[in-house]
Amino acid sequence: MGKVMSSVPRSDLHQHLWPDALIRALAERVSPPRLRHGADGWILELPGEPPCPVALADHDPVARALEAERDGIDRIGIALSVPLGIELLPAAEAQPLLDAFHDGVAELGEPFRFWAATALTAPGAGALEIDALLDRGAIGATVPAGALASEVGLVRLSALLSRLEARDVPLFVHPGPAPSAHRGAPSWWPAMTAYVADMHAAWHAWAAWGRRSHPRLRVLFAMLAGGAPLHAERLAVRGGPAGAVHDELTFFDVSSYGPRTVDAMLRVVGADRLIHGSDRPVAEPPLLGALGPSVAHALAEANPDRLLSPDPVTA
Amino acid sequence: MLPTHLHDLDADALTELVEGIAARPETWRHLVSHRPDARTYEQLHRDDHVAVWLICWMNDHDTGFHDHDLSAGALSVVRGSVCEERLVLGGAPSSRTVSAGDTLTFAASDIHRVAHAGSEPAVTLHAYSPPLWRMGAYEVSPEGTLRRHSMSYAEELRPLDEGAIAA
Repeated sequence: MGKVMSSVPRSDLHQHLWPDALIRALAERVSPPRLRHGADGWILELPGEPPCPVALADHDPVARALEAERDGIDRIGIALSVPLGIELLPAAEAQPLLDAFHDGVAELGEPFRFWAATALTAPGAGALEIDALLDRGAIGATVPAGALASEVGLVRLSALLSRLEARDVPLFVHPGPAPSAHRGAPSWWPAMTAYVADMHAAWHAWAAWGRRSHPRLRVLFAMLAGGAPLHAERLAVRGGPAGAVHDELTFFDVSSYGPRTVDAMLRVVGADRLIHGSDRPVAEPPLLGALGPSVAHALAEANPDRLLSPDPVTA
Repeated sequence: MLPTHLHDLDADALTELVEGIAARPETWRHLVSHRPDARTYEQLHRDDHVAVWLICWMNDHDTGFHDHDLSAGALSVVRGSVCEERLVLGGAPSSRTVSAGDTLTFAASDIHRVAHAGSEPAVTLHAYSPPLWRMGAYEVSPEGTLRRHSMSYAEELRPLDEGAIAA
């Protein structure tokens, strides 16, 4: 055991990092989402949410690259933090923030790669901007789960998804932003309620309508799509498209889940469609050693490679 | 390629399935690929109840003794030969060689080992119902006691390298 099979990079396709340019752009804003410097450090203000202290040291690319080295990771996919809600701002407000994110992450170099994010409020919902971002090296594009969670949402995103399909790059469906939680809700509340519900709705919308319209688009759902495929028996009983769990072009990242849930997903969708994504700095990489070295190889090497680089043999 | 199955398959249905696929080489022939150092694996079909794999063997490639936890299976040889052994307590394993055109089945409760036989590379079609999930790999300790290692099916069908299952 342990023999290196190939030179496929080890990937973590789900991390967030606010480059300096984005931090500056957020700090220049006068209304949420924005960063402001309080008495005890930086405060993040999001619409409808109480101000929240943030540790900008979590977004230091040098420290992050060192963590990746310790994790044995040599390709990191950086996504915009969807809970900031930047993609859903009026396009004129969103664009300077998106430019700052893309400019900042594009210049980081190895091991960082980036997912493109677009202003979904712009004409074409990003379809007009996506080619230039892919030409700059984006590995695909992120959309908030809520934007994809209905037939109407899918129609709105249709031109963007068609461009991704034509360019043969994947879509990354990420949770957030969450509607304001009830007063006094703990910080984990949205992650366990709105995010899970949004990811379920997005996966079911993809099964019901999205795949039919975009038969060749590879899609990565964050956080195991909230475990939506684990409900496929119920979906079948209710007459829904339960066969979607076997869609070979749909992938799931394991962010924040551990061996019990990942093994349950592996039983339902197989080992070929699970992807290593840690959600750093929000979460530490999951400890999946109990699932064995071949599962680790599939999640961090073989499957990300198939998600990002299509197999020419696959029809 | 295959219709979606609505329930788990028994040995007869698994045999019919793999022999039906064996009779349609145009659906899998392009996936045949042999490696001297390891078996190669291609998944041909997966639904809630059945997974079908094509496995290519040469150079005495050997699975070691293993079980399939909850899954039953059928194996149809479409090229060359493989040898199946069943573990026998206190005795030599029972053994049989199957060649192109032969099919063997195994229940979820069976413990077996499959190895490439002969000089010609072999190609086999496998159907597992329900799809493989967990497996057991068997190891004989230096003291002669038998140990079972629980593992994901990926160790068998998506291995890092040769000999993923302990002999």
